[in-house]
Amino acid sequence: MLDMRGNDVAGVFPVRNHPVSKGRLCVRGWHVHELINSNERIKTPLIRKDGVLVPATYEEAIALLVENLSRYKNDAADNTGFLASPRASNEENFLLMKLARSVFNTSNICLDSDPGHRNSIDVMHAGTGMAGMIGSLEDIARAEYLLVLGSDITKQNPIIGSELHMAARAGAKLVTIDTRNTQIAHLSDRFIQLKPGSYKVALAYMATVLLEERRTDEDFIKRQTEGYDGFVGCLSFLKESEVEEKTGIDLESLKETARELARAKTAMAFFSSGISGFDRDTIGYLFNLFMLAGKIGKEGCGVNPITGICNLQGSYDMGIAPDLLTGYQSITDAAVRDKFNKEWNVRLSARPGRPIDDLLMDRSRGLKALVAVDHDETVIRHHDEIDAIEFVAYIGTYHNPFADLADVVLPIASYIESDGTFTNTERRVQLFREKRKPLDGIMPGWELYTAIAKAAGASWTYTSPADVMGEIARLTPEYSDIRYDKLTDSFGIQWPCTADNPGGTPRFSIEKAAKKITFVPTDWSFMVPPVSEEYPVQLVIGEAQHFWHQNNLMKKTTIPLREYNATLLLYPQGYVAVSPEDAKRLTVRDRANVKIISPYGSMEAMVQITDKVKPNTAYVAYFVDDMVTRFFLAHKSVMKRGEDETVPLSIVKE
Amino acid sequence: MSDNTTIPEVVTVDEIRDEIVDVKTFYLSFDERPGKKPFAFKSGQFIMCTVFGAGEFAVSLPACPENDRFHLTVRRTGKVTNALHELKPGDKIGVRGPFGNGFPFEDIQSKNIIYVGGGIGIIPLRSSIMHVMQNNQKFGRILMFYGARTPRDLMYQYNLKEWKTAPGFETFIAIDNPMPGWDGPTGFVHTLIKNADIPVKDTVAFVCGPPMMFNAVIKELLSRGLDEHSIISTLERHMKCGIGKCQHCSIGRTLVCTDGPVYTYHQIKTLGEQI
Amino acid sequence: MYRISKDKVNDIAAALAEEHTLYAPALQRETLQVMFTQIKDLARINLTAALPLVPPKHVVFPQFGRTLSYAYDKAKQEVKFTPETDNSPKALFGVRACDLTGIQCLDRFYLGQDFVDEVYRDHRKKMFIVANTCVTPFRECFCSCMDSGPSAREGFDMNLTDLGNEYLIEIGSEKGETLAKKLSLASAPESAKRDREKAVDKSLSLFSKTAKDNKAWISRVVNRVTTGLFDEKAWTYIGDQCLECGACSFVCPSCSCFNVVDSVTGKDSAERTRTWDSCSFEGYSRMAGGHNPRKPVEDRRSKRCFCKLSYSQSKKYLRHGCVGCGRCAWVCPGDIGMPNVVTYIRREITKKGQ
Repeated sequence: MLDMRGNDVAGVFPVRNHPVSKGRLCVRGWHVHELINSNERIKTPLIRKDGVLVPATYEEAIALLVENLSRYKNDAADNTGFLASPRASNEENFLLMKLARSVFNTSNICLDSDPGHRNSIDVMHAGTGMAGMIGSLEDIARAEYLLVLGSDITKQNPIIGSELHMAARAGAKLVTIDTRNTQIAHLSDRFIQLKPGSYKVALAYMATVLLEERRTDEDFIKRQTEGYDGFVGCLSFLKESEVEEKTGIDLESLKETARELARAKTAMAFFSSGISGFDRDTIGYLFNLFMLAGKIGKEGCGVNPITGICNLQGSYDMGIAPDLLTGYQSITDAAVRDKFNKEWNVRLSARPGRPIDDLLMDRSRGLKALVAVDHDETVIRHHDEIDAIEFVAYIGTYHNPFADLADVVLPIASYIESDGTFTNTERRVQLFREKRKPLDGIMPGWELYTAIAKAAGASWTYTSPADVMGEIARLTPEYSDIRYDKLTDSFGIQWPCTADNPGGTPRFSIEKAAKKITFVPTDWSFMVPPVSEEYPVQLVIGEAQHFWHQNNLMKKTTIPLREYNATLLLYPQGYVAVSPEDAKRLTVRDRANVKIISPYGSMEAMVQITDKVKPNTAYVAYFVDDMVTRFFLAHKSVMKRGEDETVPLSIVKE
Repeated sequence: MSDNTTIPEVVTVDEIRDEIVDVKTFYLSFDERPGKKPFAFKSGQFIMCTVFGAGEFAVSLPACPENDRFHLTVRRTGKVTNALHELKPGDKIGVRGPFGNGFPFEDIQSKNIIYVGGGIGIIPLRSSIMHVMQNNQKFGRILMFYGARTPRDLMYQYNLKEWKTAPGFETFIAIDNPMPGWDGPTGFVHTLIKNADIPVKDTVAFVCGPPMMFNAVIKELLSRGLDEHSIISTLERHMKCGIGKCQHCSIGRTLVCTDGPVYTYHQIKTLGEQI
Repeated sequence: MYRISKDKVNDIAAALAEEHTLYAPALQRETLQVMFTQIKDLARINLTAALPLVPPKHVVFPQFGRTLSYAYDKAKQEVKFTPETDNSPKALFGVRACDLTGIQCLDRFYLGQDFVDEVYRDHRKKMFIVANTCVTPFRECFCSCMDSGPSAREGFDMNLTDLGNEYLIEIGSEKGETLAKKLSLASAPESAKRDREKAVDKSLSLFSKTAKDNKAWISRVVNRVTTGLFDEKAWTYIGDQCLECGACSFVCPSCSCFNVVDSVTGKDSAERTRTWDSCSFEGYSRMAGGHNPRKPVEDRRSKRCFCKLSYSQSKKYLRHGCVGCGRCAWVCPGDIGMPNVVTYIRREITKKGQ
C-alpha cells in the first residue's frame, strides 16, 4: 500500500491481512515509491522532427500516430505490429488489443518479454481447461511436499519463496531441482543439482519410477483422467541406462524424490514462467508426473507456473497473443468472433497474427509500423530491425531507450493515477484504485486508447476503467462476474468468476471439473544439449535478484539501483559465474577477464567464482545489456529462451 | 559544532590540476563568510563535498591547516566524482564540515614520526606531513616511506621534491618493480621499512594505503617493536551524512565520521568488526 | 495524576488537534490493518487497536522526504538553497510503550552524540506525545524482555492506562500538566497507582511463553553478542534465510539509518531527499571503487543484531536498541525476526554446554 499524503507518495507499507503477502514485501516492493517519485517521467508527448524528439500536444501526436497506422490498414495483418506491456492493467491491455484488432485490423499483438508463460498456460489449459496456475498460493501451507524447479525463487519471487520456506519450517518437505545451488536449494530438504537442459529427462525418469514401483494414484487415473496410455508410451522411449549420464544425478536420488512425491498426500510444484521458464514439453512432463501421482485438482496440490511481472497472467487473459481473444478464446473460432463482432460492431478477421519477434526476424516481409508500450527487452534484441521500421510509436510512463527509436512518443499516467485491475500468478484479479489525479495533464492509458480510437473513426463510450471491465466481463467467461464493486475493499477474486461461481475459484478442483482431465501430449525425444571437447561448458541463463530484463524501471529507483550496482560495478564487463574447480583449471581469480567462445560467436566477460554452479556449468544473468553484449544477438536464432536452453561453450583466460 | 551541518556552504573552484591518472586537485576559495569565523580545520579531518545536481561524497582534506592553498584531491570513481571531474574553474561546489577527529598532534610532541603511504593513501597524510615539517623542531626524527606501483602513480610529485631535500626529513620513495628511468629504490613499502633504520622508542607511525599494504606494514612495524597504540591510521567508509546519523560508516561500535577517521591500530583491532 | 472516562478520552485528542497535526492509531479502511496515521476524523481513533504495522517513527523520520532543494545558475554562478523540512507542531496520541521507547532512542541518537541533526529536530519540535499502556500484549510482543513496556516510564507528556471503566492519566511534563489543567481533568486518587500496577502486572502475565522464556536469556544473549563469543556458523544459518528485503529495519521503531540522494528536478535545480535505508542491503556499506567490508549476508545480519542488542550501543541509546515490539518477526520473509535470532543464539550457547 502506498502512504499517500495529499498528492505526495510518502512511502510504502505492507499489508498484513493480504492472503498472499501477509505483511511481507521484497526489496522492490519496499521501494516502489522511489520509482513513482522519480523525476524521469515522460512529461509531454513528443514527435520526431528533423531527427530530434520535440514536445507536442496529445492532439498532434495522436493525429500523427493515426495517420501513419491508417496508411497500412489494408495490409495491417502483414505490416503492423503491437507490443503490449506485461505491466499494464487489464483494462489498458484490453483496449490496446481492441485498438489493434478492431481499429487497425491487425492481430500482430503480443508480449515480447516473457513469451515463455504461454507454454505454461497451454499445458495447464490442455490438461485441465484452466489456463493458468492450477493451484493456489494460500494452499502452500497445506502441501506436504513442495517441489521447486529451475527458479531462484527467493530472489525472483521473494514472497512465494518465503511461503515455501515457512511451509518447510512448519514441516513440509521442500525439494529443489536446479542447475544452480540457489538460496532455496540451501533451505531445502533435498537438492538435486542436475546438468543444464536435463530437466525433462529427470522428470520423465521420476514418472517411470512411479510406474514401475506401482506408486501411481491408480484410482485417480482411472476415474478422472484420459490419455494415460499415450503418456506411458512416451515414457517407454526413455532409456534408464542413459539417465545418470544425461542428468548427472545418481538414480537412487531421483528414485527417492519420486517416491517422496508419491507418498505425500498433497504436493505442489513451482517453476518460473516467462522469460526464464521451461519449454512446453518439460512443463508437460511435470504436469503428467503430477497426474500420475494424483496431485492435481485437490486441496494442497497443483502445478504452478510463477509469473515474474505484475500482470503477465492478466495480459494473456486479455488476449495479448496473435491467436487469442480474451479468456483464451481462439480468434479462429467463428462463434467467438461473432460474439466480439456484435459487442464491438466490427468484422474481425479470422486470421491469427504472428509474434512480433518472428516478424522482426523475417526479412522477407518487414514490419512497417510498430506500436510498443512500456517495453525494454525487445529493443536490445532487435535494435537494428526496429530502427529500420518506417513508423515506430512508443507509449509509456517513464523514459525508456525504446523511445530513442520512436517517431512518436505518448506518455501515459502511472498506475497510481488511474483505476485498474491486475491479475497475479494465481489468477487473482485485484483492483488498484486511483490514488491521485494524473500529473501534468498526462492521460491515463484507457483514455489515450479511447482518444486514438476516436481519432481513427471508432467511437468508444467508456467513461471509466470500470466500464471497460464491464465489457471484458461480457466477453470473457472466466471474468463474467467480475465487477469493480465486488473488487473494492477486497483482496481480489481468483478467476473463473462466473454467476454460478461468484466468489471465484482459488484452485482447479477435480470435483467441479466438467470433464475428465488429460495427460498432455508430449514428445519422446530425451535429448540433452551436446557437449564436446571443444565446447565443454554449458551456459545457463537466468534471472538474478537485481537483474530483470533491462531493468529500465529499476534504474529509476535509488536503493534497488544501488544494489544492482553492487554487482554490476564489480563486474563492469559483465560476469559469467563459474565453479571454483573451473576457475582453478583456467587459472583465473575472481574478476579476471576471460573470453567465452561458442559455435556461433564470442564475448569477453569477467569471471565470478561461485559455488553455486557445478563444474562445466556457467551462468549469466539474463539480458542485461550492461552485462551481456552482442554475443546473445549472434545466438538469437538458435537459442530459445528459458531454463532448458543452454549454449555449449569454451572459456579461456584472456 | 559546524554551522553548515545540513546546508552546504558554497565554494568556488579556482584552479584544477591534473595529478595522476583519474586524479585531480581542485583549488578552492570560500565565498564571503560575513559574521562567521574563517574556515579552519585540523589535519586528518574531512568534508562532505556536494557536486550540484549529482550528489555528495566524503573527501579528506590534504591541505595543511596553515600556510597552504585550500584544496581537495579526488579520484574519479563513481557517479558524483565523475561529475566533479567535469567541472571547470569558476564553477561552484558545496562544502559541509570539517568533520571527524584529527591527527593527535598534542599527544606526539617530541616523538619520532614515521609516515607510511601507499599509492593515493598519501593524500590524507599530506596535511599532517606538511604541518609537521613546518613545526619540525617540536618533533624528533621524521621519516617518510612512500610507494606506488609505477612512477606515474606517485602522487604530489611537486611536494615530494621538497620533502626529499627538507632538513631533518628522511624520505624513502619506491616503486614496486624496477623500471627504466627510475633510479630510486624498488620493492613494496614494508620491505623498504624492513631494510631501514627506524626509531622504535617514543615513536609514532602514521600508515595509510590499500588493505594489503596496510597489513604488511603493520606486521613489520609491530615486529620491530612499535606498539599498537603508537600506530595510527585513517579509515575510509561509505558516508552519506558526515555527522554520525546515517550510520553507513559504522564499524562495530564506532562511527568513522565522528569517532574517526583517525584511529590507533589498537582501536581498530577492538572495534568489533573487520575493517 | 488525573482520570478521564472512556467516552471522553478523545477530548484530549480534540484539544491537541486544535494546534497540532494529530496522529493516532486507526483502522485503515482498505486493508483493515492498524496504522498510526494522520487523523482528521476523531471517531477513527482506536486506542484498543493492536500495534500499528509501521511504528510512529515515520512522523519524525519519514520514509521519503525532501530535506533541501537548491538551484545552481551556472551562467551567474549563483547557488540558492531552500530547506524543505516540516517543523509544524505534531501530536502523537496513543503511542504504545515500545514505540515510545523507539522514539526516545531516535531522540537520543539524532539530538545527542556529536551533532544535532537539524532535519530530525525540525520534525520533532513542538511534539506532544500521549502514550498508551498495553493492558494486554499482542501476539509477537516481548517488550517485557527488553525493558520497554508494557507501560512507559518516561518520554511522554501524558500516559494513558486503561483501568476498566476509565483511563488513568499520568503526567510526564509541564506541557502535559498544562493540557490537563486546560481540560479541567478530574484528579485521580492515590489508589489509582496500585490499580495501574495491577493492570501492568496482569499484562505481563499474559505474555507468550516465548517472551517469558527468553526474558532470562536476553542478558546472556546480549553478553555473547557484545563479546562476539559464539560460533559463526549460527550466523551462516541465519544469513541463509535472509531475503535481503530491508523490512526489519523499516518497521523497527529504533532503526534510523537513511540514504541521501540528490535528484535533478529541472535544468538548474535539484532536490536532496532522505530515505529509509537498511544495513541488510549489500550496497549499504559498499564504497565507490568496489571494496565492501560487509559483503556476505551473514555479516550484515550479525551487524544488525549487534546494533540492537549489544551493550556498546548503549552509548547511542542509553539502553538496548531493541524495544521488543516484535514487528520484525511479522514482516520477515525468512522468519528470522529478533525473537528467532535470540532463540538461535541461545541454542548455540547451550549447545556448547556453557
